[in-house]
Amino acid sequence: MNSAITAKNLSHSFGEDLVLRNVSFQVPKRDFFIIIGPNGSGKTTLMKIISGLLKPRNGELKILNRPIDQYHRKALARTIAFVPQMTFADFPFTVTEIVLMGRSPYLGMLGLEEENDLEIANQAIAFTGLENLAHRKLDQLSGGEQQRVFIARAICQEPDIILLDEPTASLDLAYQVRIMDLMEKLKTEKGITVVMVSHDVNLAAMYADHLLLLHNGQVMCQGLPDEVITYQNLEAAYGCTLLVDESPLGKSPRVTLVPRKYSIRE
Amino acid sequence: MTTFRYITIVFMMAILPLISLEATSVAKTVTDQLGRHVTVPDKPQRVVSLAPSITEIVFALDQGHRLQGVTTYSDFPPEAVKLPKVGSYVHLDLEKIVALKPDLCIAIKDGNPRVIAQRLESLKIPVYAVDPNNLETIMKTVLEIGTLLNAKGRANQLVKNMDLRIQKVKSLVAKTTHRPRVFLQIGVSPIVSAGTHTFIHELIVIAGGTNLSAGPIPYPRFSREKVLALSPEIIIITSMARSAVFEKVKAEWEKWPNMPAVRNQRIYVEDSNFFDRPTPRLVDGLELLIRLIHPELVEKIQ
Amino acid sequence: MNIKSPFLVKRVITASSLLILLLGFAIVLGISMGSTDSGIKDVFQSLLGTKEPESMLYTIIWQIRFPRVLLAALVGAALSLGGLVFQALLRNPLAEPYILGISGGSAIGAIIGILMGFSRFPGVSLTAFTGSIATLLLILAMSSGQTILKKDALLLSGVMVNAFCGAVIMFLVSMTQDSRLHNILFWLMGDLSMVDMKHVGILAATLLPCFFLVFWLSNPMNLLLMGKETAQTLGVNIKAVTFTLLVTTSFMVSATVSYCGLVGFVGLVIPHLLRLVFGPDHRVLVPACVFGGGTYMVFCDLLARTLPEQGEMPAGVITAIIGAPLFIYLLKRSSR
Repeated sequence: MNSAITAKNLSHSFGEDLVLRNVSFQVPKRDFFIIIGPNGSGKTTLMKIISGLLKPRNGELKILNRPIDQYHRKALARTIAFVPQMTFADFPFTVTEIVLMGRSPYLGMLGLEEENDLEIANQAIAFTGLENLAHRKLDQLSGGEQQRVFIARAICQEPDIILLDEPTASLDLAYQVRIMDLMEKLKTEKGITVVMVSHDVNLAAMYADHLLLLHNGQVMCQGLPDEVITYQNLEAAYGCTLLVDESPLGKSPRVTLVPRKYSIRE
Repeated sequence: MTTFRYITIVFMMAILPLISLEATSVAKTVTDQLGRHVTVPDKPQRVVSLAPSITEIVFALDQGHRLQGVTTYSDFPPEAVKLPKVGSYVHLDLEKIVALKPDLCIAIKDGNPRVIAQRLESLKIPVYAVDPNNLETIMKTVLEIGTLLNAKGRANQLVKNMDLRIQKVKSLVAKTTHRPRVFLQIGVSPIVSAGTHTFIHELIVIAGGTNLSAGPIPYPRFSREKVLALSPEIIIITSMARSAVFEKVKAEWEKWPNMPAVRNQRIYVEDSNFFDRPTPRLVDGLELLIRLIHPELVEKIQ
Repeated sequence: MNIKSPFLVKRVITASSLLILLLGFAIVLGISMGSTDSGIKDVFQSLLGTKEPESMLYTIIWQIRFPRVLLAALVGAALSLGGLVFQALLRNPLAEPYILGISGGSAIGAIIGILMGFSRFPGVSLTAFTGSIATLLLILAMSSGQTILKKDALLLSGVMVNAFCGAVIMFLVSMTQDSRLHNILFWLMGDLSMVDMKHVGILAATLLPCFFLVFWLSNPMNLLLMGKETAQTLGVNIKAVTFTLLVTTSFMVSATVSYCGLVGFVGLVIPHLLRLVFGPDHRVLVPACVFGGGTYMVFCDLLARTLPEQGEMPAGVITAIIGAPLFIYLLKRSSR
């Protein structure tokens, strides 16, 4: 069994609201796994459950073939790194300081870093192309640069799995591609399993090895991009007219939104 | 009542020398008015008074030369103003007190913070606390401070004089059963008066008046409306302020001609000095009050 | 343990020793000046033992000024640390025990304790602690969840809690007519002069463990600044850490309030200044706040007792005169 994450019949509810219903899936190791779905489909909740932030009401979740609740807090942090949606802190930490925080699951209570930890942090900074910004303060950076800092911190955690919650939201086009390329590099060069929640179906289709389409808290479809990205699936999930064809770059499906005036079906 | 007080005073005068007799030559242990045991020098030479009333009592005993320091508002007698100041009685400057090297501090229960006595004692400075809150305890305080400062003769003389004058007022008041309703206003704004457990109440009663603000609260506040409802026959305003303000306050009340005090033109403004400190001067205040409340009795005598 | 001597340890030691020097200077200055004349020369003479131990100056320096200066240092340290912790927990550099109304809440508790005739320790300290915890719960309930991160919500709830506490204090004061009133007013003025070494010892014994506990949690505080979720996925037990920090801080604040009344803005000024100098790392800032806050308060108290020619002014007046304008400046800058 070479799976990074195995989920069986995960269910979760907030009060009366059932937000996840019997979600089962498997993420192989060294996979680029993207979860898509409309707003309120339960993507973020699922992400929080995988990262250990939330305990599922029902179901079974294994990380590297071991139930998640058998992990010690710090051991889990050494296995899974989580990059939440953009956070902003009004405290002027430098890029290096923030990246170094990724070492704390390996250190004692005071988190006293040694040369070795600084080395790993610098590598993470180099990997994300932040060398020139290493001594800048976080609040002086652009949104895309900040996102890379948080990814560098996650890399510095030396995890087996990195989880990202919509890392490309609110970034401009160039940065969307840079971040996605970075994640692919992470997978191929470092062998890290990347699990991501994304809004952007096209980006997901181009980068993912496997996709999971959530709808109303249930798995509507999962598998290879070709299998998931069909207009039947997407129209059923998102409730709008779409055109799916092949990307001019080949290999991956392309999704085009269809405004009413161009409506192709009656 | 009167005989009882005499017995108390005589008893105290008899017992105090006994206490000092059994003491050693340089220091003696006495019990102050709060029941604390204090070891005080036989002949205190460097005394710091921690309240204006105590300063006044020490000067009244002709022992002003022993005072090394007084509090900010010690303005009577005028000699007291020149003495070094150790802060106000609620906010004392410990360092200044210590720098004056006192061999005795005299504190007052109502006003001085309790910690100050503890702190001074931890620095080996004896603190004798007194609690003068009516005429009787004022006389007791005069006698005790007199004993402490080796001025027993003067203290006896002072107390005897006070007592004689009080008795005279009492005998005058006894001639009438009329007890006019008095409202004594302390200060200008807000309207504050004195409740049952205050020396002002005691003075009004002895001077043959009815204190309209008698009650459990020591210094209650009043609205103008409430004062009108009490329909005072006499309003006495005590104030530190000068005459210009006097007229203004008086004019405020004179807007209400239905009030007996206004109708009969019996609104008086007096210097607060006679009423605000528990000292022998309260007897002056008492004599002033009987002249205001029962002018007919006083005129008959003179 | 760390043979390689991590670079952070160096930063902690550099910052701390710098501030310890400053604190030492402040303490020497603090015990050299007062309402009676004496010079630094006298202090050194008495330090070296060439002064008569019985002399009046010796008493003034060691039994009056020294405990007071130590008290000021402890109070300053506890209040700055309190500000630092609240700023980290609420992720808001404007948070501070006084501004949040926690000091006011513990003041109510302390007044009730004084009215019930308790001694300052442990009685009044405990009622003050109860008051501060109650206010803390109130604030957390009022600005629960996400809104607590928003500056306006936090400030508004703080202003309201403060106004309410002020009203309750005035209510209690005006209901009190006897000599206890003097005790309350005296204490509310924030007076540091009436403590002796015994009280300083008690306060130090209660505060020092708190300082160490907060230092022990200083790295989780760094991680908490990155957001609760990030901190948790970095291995921090955020519930335990937050709870411990909140209770410890309320305890420190109420201990200082029960000894010296309401002193505001120390927890705003000092963490802000130190962050400018040493950066935002709490492992450096916690010890820096202890020593820097102590230094600041010793200086403020020194100003409070030497500025007026007659008597003294409460130290809280000085800290507010310095702190309130800085608060407005920070608010303006952060809402830009």
